[in-house]
Amino acid sequence: MKTKNIYTRITVIIIFSLLTAQLIYPQKKLQKSPGGEHGEMDFSINWKKYYTYEEWTGIMKELQNKYPGLCDIESIGQSRMGRGQLLLTITNKATGKHTDKTAMWVDGAIHGNEVNGITCSLYLAWYLLTRYDYDPYVNELVDRYTFYILPGLNVDANNSFVEYPNTPNNPRETYRPEDNDGDGLYDEDLTEDVDGDGELSEMYREDPEGELRLSADGRRFVDAEEGFEGLRFTRIGSEGFDNDGDGRINEDDIGGPDPNRNFPYGWNLDAGNPYPMSESETRNVFEFQLDHPNIFASFHYHNTGRLIMFQAPPPIRLSASQEEELSEQTEARLEEMRKTNIYAQLFARRVSDDYQHDMDVQTKIVTEGAYILKNYRPVIGGLSGQAHAATYYMLGAYSYLIELWGSPVTIADTDNDGRLSDEEYMKWIDLDLAGDGWINPHRVIHPDLGEIWIGGSAKKHMQRTPPSRYIEMEAEKNARFVMYCASQFPRVKIDDIKVKAITANIYQVDVRVENESEYPTASDRSVQLKRYTPDVLSFEASDNITLVETSGKDLDDGRGRRFSYFTRQEPQTETQLSAGEKTEFRLKGKEKRVIRYFLAMEGKKGNATFTLSSKTGGSDEESIVIRVE
Amino acid sequence: MPRKSYKRIPVCTGIIIALVLVNFTINAQDAQIRFDRYHGYTGTSEYLKKVNTAYPGITELLTIGESTMGKPIYVLVISNMSKGTTIDRHIDLRNMRKENIQNVPPMKIHQGKPGHFISGSTHGNEYTGTEVCLYIIDKLVSGYGGDEDITSLVDSKAFYICPVINPDGVYNSVEKGIAQRNNSMEKDDDDDGKINEDGPDDIDGDGYITSFRYKDDDGMYIIDESDPRLMIRLGRDTKTDKQRYSVIREDIDNDKDGKRGEDPESGLDLNRNYPEGWWKDDGFAGGSGDYPLSAPETHAIAEFFTNYRNILMAQFYHTSGGFTYRPMGTAPHPRLNPTDVAVFDFIMGKKYLEIIGEEIPEAWLHPENMEQYKKELAETDADSYSKSRGYRLPRGWRVSYNEEDDERYGYGMATDWLYAQYGIYSITTELWNPEDDIPGFEIPDDENRRVAVDKALLKYQDEEYNGDLFVNWKAYTHPELGEGETGGWKSQYARNNAFPGEPLINVCEKHWQFELFRAKLLPEIIIRDIKPRIIYSGSTNEGTVKRNDSEFSVEKGKGKGIYHIVEISATIENTGALATNLADGEELPGNRQDVVWLVAERDNIEFIEGQPFISLGSLGGTKKIPGVRNSPSHKEVKWIIAIKENTPLKIVASSLKGGTVYKEIKFK
Repeated sequence: MKTKNIYTRITVIIIFSLLTAQLIYPQKKLQKSPGGEHGEMDFSINWKKYYTYEEWTGIMKELQNKYPGLCDIESIGQSRMGRGQLLLTITNKATGKHTDKTAMWVDGAIHGNEVNGITCSLYLAWYLLTRYDYDPYVNELVDRYTFYILPGLNVDANNSFVEYPNTPNNPRETYRPEDNDGDGLYDEDLTEDVDGDGELSEMYREDPEGELRLSADGRRFVDAEEGFEGLRFTRIGSEGFDNDGDGRINEDDIGGPDPNRNFPYGWNLDAGNPYPMSESETRNVFEFQLDHPNIFASFHYHNTGRLIMFQAPPPIRLSASQEEELSEQTEARLEEMRKTNIYAQLFARRVSDDYQHDMDVQTKIVTEGAYILKNYRPVIGGLSGQAHAATYYMLGAYSYLIELWGSPVTIADTDNDGRLSDEEYMKWIDLDLAGDGWINPHRVIHPDLGEIWIGGSAKKHMQRTPPSRYIEMEAEKNARFVMYCASQFPRVKIDDIKVKAITANIYQVDVRVENESEYPTASDRSVQLKRYTPDVLSFEASDNITLVETSGKDLDDGRGRRFSYFTRQEPQTETQLSAGEKTEFRLKGKEKRVIRYFLAMEGKKGNATFTLSSKTGGSDEESIVIRVE
Repeated sequence: MPRKSYKRIPVCTGIIIALVLVNFTINAQDAQIRFDRYHGYTGTSEYLKKVNTAYPGITELLTIGESTMGKPIYVLVISNMSKGTTIDRHIDLRNMRKENIQNVPPMKIHQGKPGHFISGSTHGNEYTGTEVCLYIIDKLVSGYGGDEDITSLVDSKAFYICPVINPDGVYNSVEKGIAQRNNSMEKDDDDDGKINEDGPDDIDGDGYITSFRYKDDDGMYIIDESDPRLMIRLGRDTKTDKQRYSVIREDIDNDKDGKRGEDPESGLDLNRNYPEGWWKDDGFAGGSGDYPLSAPETHAIAEFFTNYRNILMAQFYHTSGGFTYRPMGTAPHPRLNPTDVAVFDFIMGKKYLEIIGEEIPEAWLHPENMEQYKKELAETDADSYSKSRGYRLPRGWRVSYNEEDDERYGYGMATDWLYAQYGIYSITTELWNPEDDIPGFEIPDDENRRVAVDKALLKYQDEEYNGDLFVNWKAYTHPELGEGETGGWKSQYARNNAFPGEPLINVCEKHWQFELFRAKLLPEIIIRDIKPRIIYSGSTNEGTVKRNDSEFSVEKGKGKGIYHIVEISATIENTGALATNLADGEELPGNRQDVVWLVAERDNIEFIEGQPFISLGSLGGTKKIPGVRNSPSHKEVKWIIAIKENTPLKIVASSLKGGTVYKEIKFK
């Protein structure tokens, strides 16, 4: 209970009362020191391994079983081959239903082979649940918000990638049959582990005219110099049999459309065929998202390349010279900004006033993302039927596609030329990974091709998915970025109330409301989509107080309201006349807004209550007492 | 029950023949159909099952999905199930991945034949097409074995007939009498926490949901003087001295929220839910639903077309008007390839106008003079699209795109989608034009043509239907609107649908004739002139060649037996009227070029020249397309192979939309 006395010119006493909707639940095992365990030992998971479908869904079920008050598990639908797409819903059930709370969506591995996305999303779930009792930051997030976490999206291909021999790039798509080579047959010539060593490598044949030879250490196939006298080779292709006898190998591999070109926004037939949301895996996800309008932001894990791809508002079309000018301005400004913050971000995209706030908020968020994820680079994401385009453009949720991992250039680039040569890569394998990670060339008898060589490539988890020792390192910082974003979900409050007597019985009451977070209570896009609920300040008073109704207009139109990273203008407090008992507005990120009421009071004493309510940002209530002395 | 192919009857003996014949006869009688009443969703489903039982050798009943309310969406396949082949029956796969992924179902026999899709009732209240579908089914199954044309079509082609795309809409419109264009949706339209709680009602309890008329000085209707059953809608600014009325659907405010019918079962317009042209240019939704193909019914249709890529013709029946929309509505003329336009207009359109008795544009009769027509049209005030073609589209065969004002028509329509994204000759026929479909139908003089037609229809139903299609007005006190009367057309009929009996049969017969004509245009692949020539024969061994400068030494391996070196040529020809693909059809993802395989036991064949399969592009048709240079309808292919003696060898030609055929090769 907070109480304030404010004396105006004619002595008005205002009593504030605090009413927070938030129930505070005490933590059971609050950890006071950052050293020591924070709950990891309550449910320990080995993060040095990629899990099969049975294994990762098993972990999810056990987590739910262990933390039933914080976590639900459900299947949002089935894959083509009948696997359930298991989703964890994480929130403290005691503080409200998950659908009533602002929510974060996280999915991993829409591309079958990008299974470090499964690890990252599973890690986030585990982090939130195991630390809930120990870590005040996590505790508050789980009390206030909902996390929908779908570790494996493309479950059939995800499982295949982990459980069976595969190249780092396959299988990527969902399992809809497709005729890649136009021979009339569907998915009839897949890759196979010819030599049975558990890895899918490259096939070569000895060829006196060949352009390749073995490297000096016998581990790689390299270009043969002119006049080279020893064994020469020609590359055949990746490991496999000619299943259909058409003379070609692996030419009609498993799977159909790219599921991340299958979403409706910016969809095109060539990349997203046969039709938008044709795959049960993608359709189940989008249907779930449509059914849960409380989803405020979304993360989608991919690999590779260490990128934070975020959705930005549609650009204003510029002429070539305007583009150039904007790009120069941006660079100059960025150079200036980076003098004080090496993680500063700025993007050469001009957007309309209706969308400027989204542009600014996203820029701010990914700036912090670059800090948290260190060597990850923020870029504006594409449309073309991608999941994160649909979440922003169709649902109005802020969306981020994370390209995880990448070549170990930062640790193995010994000549510091910014790229990793074969020699540097091999050295990394030999010294950092103790030699585990390479398939040496060896002779094999192939049923279709006779005697060939197989090998000379890295193993499966060496390129797009990190070797096991790096899994947790990557997952941990990515979990922190998701949590940072959730921590910036809107939070509204009534910041202050000022009363001024205009005459002895007419008062001007200024109620200042505030959104303390970076995110607005609704994105610009959701406003454009009309898919949002406005924030409301409502007014109730004792019978002797009447509200003088006004037009409800803004009082400071055009006074630099836009906050822009270009101009560095700070947001100014807007003042808006109240139109009546309910005043509707949208609070932007970090915005304060004054709602001005004119009240007429008869008698010596009256009271009024102001209730602020935001669908996404919570609610607050303050009461005042006016007493004429 | 086990499927019995009655094509196999001749090979059966004695008693079995008699039993099967008796059984067959009973079933065939059982599957007879009359068109003196509407069958609705329930009757249609029963009929489809009966036909499938009676004709197991030439039909298959597919359930392609379920409506919102859980009603199956059926497609009846009509094709001889014991004739034909598919490509996967001929290619043996070996050394498959240990993972044993079973994601590719075996192809059905009819997927190896050119497909023709015919559907009704995308809009539940536009029901006539369902009956036309049933009529076509009846013609095909009962004509099989008797009529030569039909027998040949059912043997070599596959008909996919979906009488009801929108089961809930049809069930409500026809069986419950609540006209419902859209599908059903479990949606809280008015956001009051209740779902579908306020739809139309049979307020007078007479078993029909018709209309309620009441005196209202702001109303838009007056009562017709000559026939007081008839309500005449006034123009917006029309003045009148007569008593004005309002006319609403029979309805009360079920949930007492002050609004009537604000949360009915009716959901999405299914013909605005397809992907082509669904979006507006500004990046917001234009079509219906949260996203393209969001409705279970359209999703089922899309998945069906994705799995049955052999379909080249499609028809979506709507009502009414008695004309056909060919593509496109969401995009202007240049979006179509001129070759496709020529097929649509000069071949299909011309036939359609003949059938409905409309005058054929002169330019279509003499397409060779098109440059002259273009010049003539250039002098007129015709729109630019008509000018570029050389003709205006006639009333009976048109596009929904507004060419005069250069404006798109709607968003996300089935016909546009199948044309542009699947490479299909898809059309939408708006059935039912009383003037054409009721013999001797006379329209009285009236300045308001709509009223005149209504009067004539009323008179016709008085005389021929004993007045059964119209409920006469009777006094009713509405709990919210007060005194008035209930009555009007029973919603199944009104102006929407061909009246059962003679008018309906007329509609059915015309459109059966038109689809029969279209089916006969389908491509048909054959293999001819197979010429195998043995160049060399002899006993042989394995061998490897080693080179030392200009000296080649051969290391002889184990004996392989007698081998022939054979040169084989063959011609793959399309004997059908139309090409195996639309002009740009083979380029569309999911479609492909025609291919030909040479197949033998793998370990016994070596390809010396030519690959195991050869891509042919698309084979042209035999019908001359006016104004278009036909692509060649045949291609010669050639291989040289080494093959072990007595190894069976065959050629398999496979066109996605032109059919799959094979021939065994005999040589000595």
